[in-house]
Amino acid sequence: MGRYILRRSVQAIPVIFLIAIVSFMLMQAAPGGPAAAFNQNPKISQAQIDGWLQRWCLERNPDVVGMLREFGGWLGVYNCSGGGLASSSGMPNFLPAFLGGGSNGVLHGDFGFSIFTGQPVLGMILERLPATLVLTGTALIIWITLAIILGVIAAVKRYSLFDQAVTLFSYIFYSLPTFWLGLILIYLFAVDLHWLPAQGIINTRSPFSFNTPAYWTDFWKNPGPALVVIGQHLILPVMTLVAVSVAGDSRFVRSSMLDTLSQDYVRTAKAKGLSQRTVIFRHAFRNALLPILTNIALEIAFLFSGAIVTETIFDWPGMGRLYFDGVTNRDYFLLMGILLIGSILVVIANLAADVIYAWADPRIRY
Amino acid sequence: MTVTLDRPASDAPPRADILLDVQDLRTYFHVMDGTVKAVDGVSFSVRRGETLGVVGESGCGKSVTALTIMRLLDIPPAEIASGRILLEGKDILRLPEEQMRHLRGNEIAMIFQEPMSSLNPVFTVGNQISEAVELHLKVKHKEAVERSIEALRLVGIAYPERRIKQYPHELSGGQRQRVMIAMALSCEPKLLIADEPTTALDVTIQAQILELIRSIQQKTGTALMLITHDLGVVAEMVNDVVVMYAGRVVEHGTVDEVLLQPKHPYTEGLLASIPSKGMRGQRLNVIKGAVPNPFNMPKGCNFSPRCPYQFEPCLDLDPHVDEGGGPAAACWLWKQAPGYSIPARLHEAQVRAALRAAEASQVEVSPVLAVEAAEE
Ligand SMILES: Nc1ncnc2c1ncn2[C@@H]1O[C@H](COP(=O)(O)OP(=O)(O)OP(=O)(O)O)[C@@H](O)[C@H]1O
Ligand code: SF4
Ligand SMILES: [Mg+2]
Repeated sequence: MGRYILRRSVQAIPVIFLIAIVSFMLMQAAPGGPAAAFNQNPKISQAQIDGWLQRWCLERNPDVVGMLREFGGWLGVYNCSGGGLASSSGMPNFLPAFLGGGSNGVLHGDFGFSIFTGQPVLGMILERLPATLVLTGTALIIWITLAIILGVIAAVKRYSLFDQAVTLFSYIFYSLPTFWLGLILIYLFAVDLHWLPAQGIINTRSPFSFNTPAYWTDFWKNPGPALVVIGQHLILPVMTLVAVSVAGDSRFVRSSMLDTLSQDYVRTAKAKGLSQRTVIFRHAFRNALLPILTNIALEIAFLFSGAIVTETIFDWPGMGRLYFDGVTNRDYFLLMGILLIGSILVVIANLAADVIYAWADPRIRY
Repeated sequence: MTVTLDRPASDAPPRADILLDVQDLRTYFHVMDGTVKAVDGVSFSVRRGETLGVVGESGCGKSVTALTIMRLLDIPPAEIASGRILLEGKDILRLPEEQMRHLRGNEIAMIFQEPMSSLNPVFTVGNQISEAVELHLKVKHKEAVERSIEALRLVGIAYPERRIKQYPHELSGGQRQRVMIAMALSCEPKLLIADEPTTALDVTIQAQILELIRSIQQKTGTALMLITHDLGVVAEMVNDVVVMYAGRVVEHGTVDEVLLQPKHPYTEGLLASIPSKGMRGQRLNVIKGAVPNPFNMPKGCNFSPRCPYQFEPCLDLDPHVDEGGGPAAACWLWKQAPGYSIPARLHEAQVRAALRAAEASQVEVSPVLAVEAAEE
């Protein structure tokens, strides 16, 4: 198993590399470049611009070689300040710093800076990650639990009123656009009824922004009420995500469960005289769980990447929002950072799915 | 060999003999296009410790009959429209599900047609056998495991201590069917229903499995209801035979009566369709014509479209198997249709054809077969 994971991880490296190249090329193909963005941004001084241009070998109008240099610099293979593949100590630049490599680029943990705000990309991502994890984690746990419960009951009581109701609501929610559902929920529960806050993760009147040091100092002084505030803000976006995702996943659980319920070994289990509960959970669900687990593992990547539409509508300070803003601002270091980390997570999620499947299914061996 | 065709049916055995008595069973399926009368008035009985063979073409309702006895059909779409299934005199169709569960796997066990898919792929073989043992015999897990090992040894599985830790996919088809048999017999049922236990297996392994079932049956005194396509198997293994056609019993009797003195033209056709001596595992589709459409059963005798002897009454009057006396064949050739007389030439032709068919069915009885050795 360990060797399998290792082999799969090594195989993933070229995939991730390819994703990085493709996303870089797409960024380059989009109109406007970093230089254009700088010119429009009064917050950034000329000295800062020159510093960045030099560190990341950015040019105003790069040719193909210039673009390659740029990509190499972003990746950490190319030493922009020295101009070459060697670091200042003469070793290959891509090596880790303690082996004499350089310090620039994602290989050395530097994801560059935001062209729009000037902040380091990694810092921005880490700042947004907690809000996203809270939102997507809560939603994921609720929707998977619900999807499994609804799907299993619907399958066991196939064609019953319950099953038909679940089917109907699934189709309705599945076909609703997320943004529309989000807006309706805001309108209903926030604007009309005033039960819940419409947007954000903390009160708009709060003196601190979420996830700043000052916020946490304040948070730990009185964590209870602060958590309640976050909880209140969570309800609507979580509802939005859950409604849309349960719709799809409960269908998946239902069909997976129906599939196993009609298998010969379930009939064997009944013929043994086992109780209905044992037949359903021990024999049928245990097998239905195999594809469900895979599906869940693949959804892990979503935990990080966040929900772009939902976060945007609810002004949630998470990764989805960050990505959306990055696209709007053509903040290409930021976008490439998010894409790269996102794709690494997708690869990890795929690997996790395979490993979980192998663990749960005795027929699969490496 | 002399064959007399007009011997009266044997007297009904005394009731204490009878373990399972199925009376006028009707199982219907309500599907989109209408109602499929998969089992439509079936009666037979299984005597204690003896073997009943149920034969008939594909789709004639053999499995549905078995699943109805086990009460394993989903209701709906299935409906048990009428009938009684008496196990030791107690109607199991009227039992609450709770009590029925207690009988399943304990007093009546079943092995299925498909050994490859009948075991749960995610549990070990031992786990699946001991599950039933723990449930019905109320023993501790450790003892259940020991009994599972014993059961595997009994069905001729080598190294049972090692096998119980294996998963179904690590076993061959024949071994899996042995495991199914071990599982079915682990709680010492009074009745074992084997639904074509060898159809899915290689010809060489078929004989081994049948031999195994027979030897275990002799050891334990379990009654057996053996569903099969194979009249050779019937000749070797069973005491009584029920011939089914389109959801009905068309003929029943002892194995000698049915195989040597076939009365119903369908039985005769089945016998004549045995390809040659010793050929095993052939599907019996050789009688010309096809099984009638379940949504459009012929009026009168439902075999009439395929019957070479069909005469006037067959098209409007339905020949049931008589309960009690009279010939045990649902055919106007053997029963007096009210208001009709049997044309002598037909009767004669049938007697002759039946003799030929009976002759053809003199299937070789295979020698006692080796156990698993050959398979591994
Ligand atoms: N769940 C079901 N729903 C509808 N019809 C069914 C169902 N199960 C069986 N039938 C129908 O009942 C009839 C009898 O089927 P059954 O499985 O008992 O045949 P069989 O004699 O066991 O045949 P085989 O030799 O192929 O196993 C068939 O016409 C079949 O289509
Ligand atoms: S009743 Fe008539 S049609 Fe039916 S089997 Fe007998 S002879 Fe043939
Ligand atoms: Mg069948």
